[in-house]
Amino acid sequence: MSETNDKKVHGIAAEYTSVDTLMDACRRVRDAGYTKTDAFAPFAVHGIDKALGIKPTKLPWIVLVCGLTGTATGLLMQIWMNGIDYPYIISGKPFISLPAFIPVAFELTILFASFGAFFGMWALNGLPKFSNPVFTDPRFDRVTDDRFVLFIDSTDSRYDRAGVEKLLGDTGSEYITTVLEDDSPSKVPKFIFTTWIVVMALSIIPLLVVLKMRVTNSPLPRFHVFYDMDFSPSKDAQQSTTLFGDARAMRPDVPGTVARGQMDLNYQTGIDVEALAKIDSPRAAMLVRALDDAEAKEEAEAAAPAAATASVMETTPWLTDNPREISMETLQKGQEQFGIYCSVCHGMNGAGNGLVNRRAQKILAATWVPPSSLHQDSLYADKYPDGKLFNTISNGIRKMPGYAGQITTENRWAIVAYVRALQKSQNASIDLVPVAKRAAIEKRKAAVDKKLAEQAAAEKKAAEESAAKAAAEKKSST
Amino acid sequence: MSHARPVVKPADDPAFKLPASLSALTLPMLGGGLLLLVAGWAVGNFMGNPRVGMSAYLTGFVYCLTLATGSLFFVLIQHLVRAGWSTVVRRIAELVMMMVIPLAILFLPILLTLFFSEGMLYRWDDPQFATDNHLPALAWAEKSRWLSQGWFAVRAIIYFAVWIVLALYFFRGSTQQDETGERAVTDRLQYWSGPATMAFCGVTSFAAFDWVMSLAPMWFSTMFGVYLFAGSVLATHCMLAVAAFVLQKKGAMRDEVTVEHYHDLAKLIFGFLLFWMYIAFSQYMLIWYGNIPEETEWIYHRQLGGWGTMTVALIFLHWMLPFLGLMSMYVRRRPGIVVFWAAYVLVMHFFDLFWIIMPEAAVASELPYSVQFVGVASAVMCALGMSALLTGLVLKVASGTKVVAVRDPRLAESMAFENV
Repeated sequence: MSETNDKKVHGIAAEYTSVDTLMDACRRVRDAGYTKTDAFAPFAVHGIDKALGIKPTKLPWIVLVCGLTGTATGLLMQIWMNGIDYPYIISGKPFISLPAFIPVAFELTILFASFGAFFGMWALNGLPKFSNPVFTDPRFDRVTDDRFVLFIDSTDSRYDRAGVEKLLGDTGSEYITTVLEDDSPSKVPKFIFTTWIVVMALSIIPLLVVLKMRVTNSPLPRFHVFYDMDFSPSKDAQQSTTLFGDARAMRPDVPGTVARGQMDLNYQTGIDVEALAKIDSPRAAMLVRALDDAEAKEEAEAAAPAAATASVMETTPWLTDNPREISMETLQKGQEQFGIYCSVCHGMNGAGNGLVNRRAQKILAATWVPPSSLHQDSLYADKYPDGKLFNTISNGIRKMPGYAGQITTENRWAIVAYVRALQKSQNASIDLVPVAKRAAIEKRKAAVDKKLAEQAAAEKKAAEESAAKAAAEKKSST
Repeated sequence: MSHARPVVKPADDPAFKLPASLSALTLPMLGGGLLLLVAGWAVGNFMGNPRVGMSAYLTGFVYCLTLATGSLFFVLIQHLVRAGWSTVVRRIAELVMMMVIPLAILFLPILLTLFFSEGMLYRWDDPQFATDNHLPALAWAEKSRWLSQGWFAVRAIIYFAVWIVLALYFFRGSTQQDETGERAVTDRLQYWSGPATMAFCGVTSFAAFDWVMSLAPMWFSTMFGVYLFAGSVLATHCMLAVAAFVLQKKGAMRDEVTVEHYHDLAKLIFGFLLFWMYIAFSQYMLIWYGNIPEETEWIYHRQLGGWGTMTVALIFLHWMLPFLGLMSMYVRRRPGIVVFWAAYVLVMHFFDLFWIIMPEAAVASELPYSVQFVGVASAVMCALGMSALLTGLVLKVASGTKVVAVRDPRLAESMAFENV
């Protein structure tokens, strides 16, 4: 076949009628040193890769790398999401919990490996490819039916037209043809672009509607796509519910609940429990039980008044050190909690003259026991250890109720720390204050003293005036 | 299909006979195996305690049973899917599946301890079990309805009956075809392979519950049967690869089994390695996540002391190492390497069963560490002994028949089979 026009030659194809002649031809072409070759057959032919000298595919490596990437992505994603970015305890498991992460890591391994296999195959085969120049010969259609074709590419380094035609002719092919480059127009038809633009334009419409609605007002009620997501059926505090027998929507803690990381008896009680066990083991055992079991807790509480006699309080091995780390943060937390819970009676400065006390004094409440001033020798750390103070805050003393139910264990220890700081503040000498700040404090003190003096003078004056007034009234009435 | 279709040799070709060098091993295997088995049990019984001895015996028994029932399953599945590739190795599986008959006899010691020394192997068998362990009456009443001596024995008979009937039916069919070459035999076996597979799966799962899971009487996992099954099928494919390799080395079926068959077996081993891990992890993860004491007990015992190290080792040695080892197609097309990994996994299958069975003996006896070492020795000897004993029997059966299904209509297809 001669070349009658200037179209570029793509390669040479030879047609065979049986798979055996094709295989023989493949081997001969391979042995002749050609590498850019391809064979076409209506069915899969085992061993043709070897016959053509095709090297094993690189695809498994792509799949392996993609699979490992999937594993790493799955693990890192979950570690980041659940362990770092938004730590959230699920089912009491640690934040970074390998067994829980394995299913997702496994699935992503499979997903990535499948994508790697699918798209890697595309890439290695040069897909998507809409046309192959061999299709230009109508005889090639029979390769899906009962013919076999061997093709040698013109870009092969050993390609030489006459030589290739001779070689293929020797292999018993009855039909050898030169495959020319496909000269049919390769431009994409215009209507495809038109359709694409129209579809794109239409797809913008929902977005425009959303954007418009975001910047305009409407008298119509809002449209709820997911009604129960906009109006959650969850209950608010103090509401009732039909789900539980006691109708309470707020559920109490399960008996024996201990906050995470606080299952430490000393921390919970303020008592050195091991030391206590040596001198009073029944009481230590009772304390241990009370933390585990609601019934034992009630029992312990019932026994408490008898147990908590003065002598017991004396001999109890209280913790002398605050188990919480003392930092500025702890002290600020303690100050905040003290302000919320303690100051109403004990006063912001701990002198025992909070608002409740003042009111009780004013109305001369008969049963009122005045709150202690925290600034007395008997309440300092050497006589009143931290653990004992913690115990008092937790379980109360005399008329003071226990605050274990309202204030968390952690925050009660913070209050203890803060009370210590407060006590120190009342007896501190100016020498403890950094030099730079002394002037400011002294200035403030002078201002406060002055104001107090003025106040006292004013009160005295007012008292005198009222006394004089009363005397005058008394005088006039008589 | 392609070039040069392989020629099927005549049925009386010496390549299909069991090589004489192997059949000569029959008696030494039988005698040595029996001795080793008894010695293994004695080591556990007298140097440890009776529970260790019987548990080691059970380990060896389950090791052989999983290979025999795995072979039965292999045969059923090849018929069920009308597989062509496997015909050349199917006879090996058919020979091994016949071992369910001697295994029924080897089960007798276990059944005897159940009746004559109560609670020696299965703790639920001890009349004091419920009171000793403070079990709630209701829970124990439900459990003991299933776990009772008589009903246990009846079930064991049912399990063996099903296996033996299936094994005999499929073995006889196949050997009959060796003589007649009738295509109808294949059709008949195919027809029954569906119901047979269903019967097999039910029986095998319950046998795993009864004989292995009930060692920890109050523990339960519906996945357990599948877990043992996964290990069983994995080990069976390994056994086929090793057996075919040995037979070829000794001169049988050299032209019949090709690199393609090793490649296929290696693919199945590779797949079942992952299946075993998948099932093991599925069982573990649900228990771990649920975190309910009656479910976590079993795993908890396997996390204490040396058992914990073994648990982690099992993951790496039973799964990860051979999985990575068999990942490459290059490796899977090298019969020598495939057989190395297959033999390795057969050892790991023993490790898996040891890890399943022996901790229960240790937990129940509160053994010191030195006695646990006796447990290892005892279990290894029992497994080796029983394997050798049954190998002797396999050789005995094989010398009376062929090692390949010589007139199977798919034999030519199997020989011509190509992967790539």
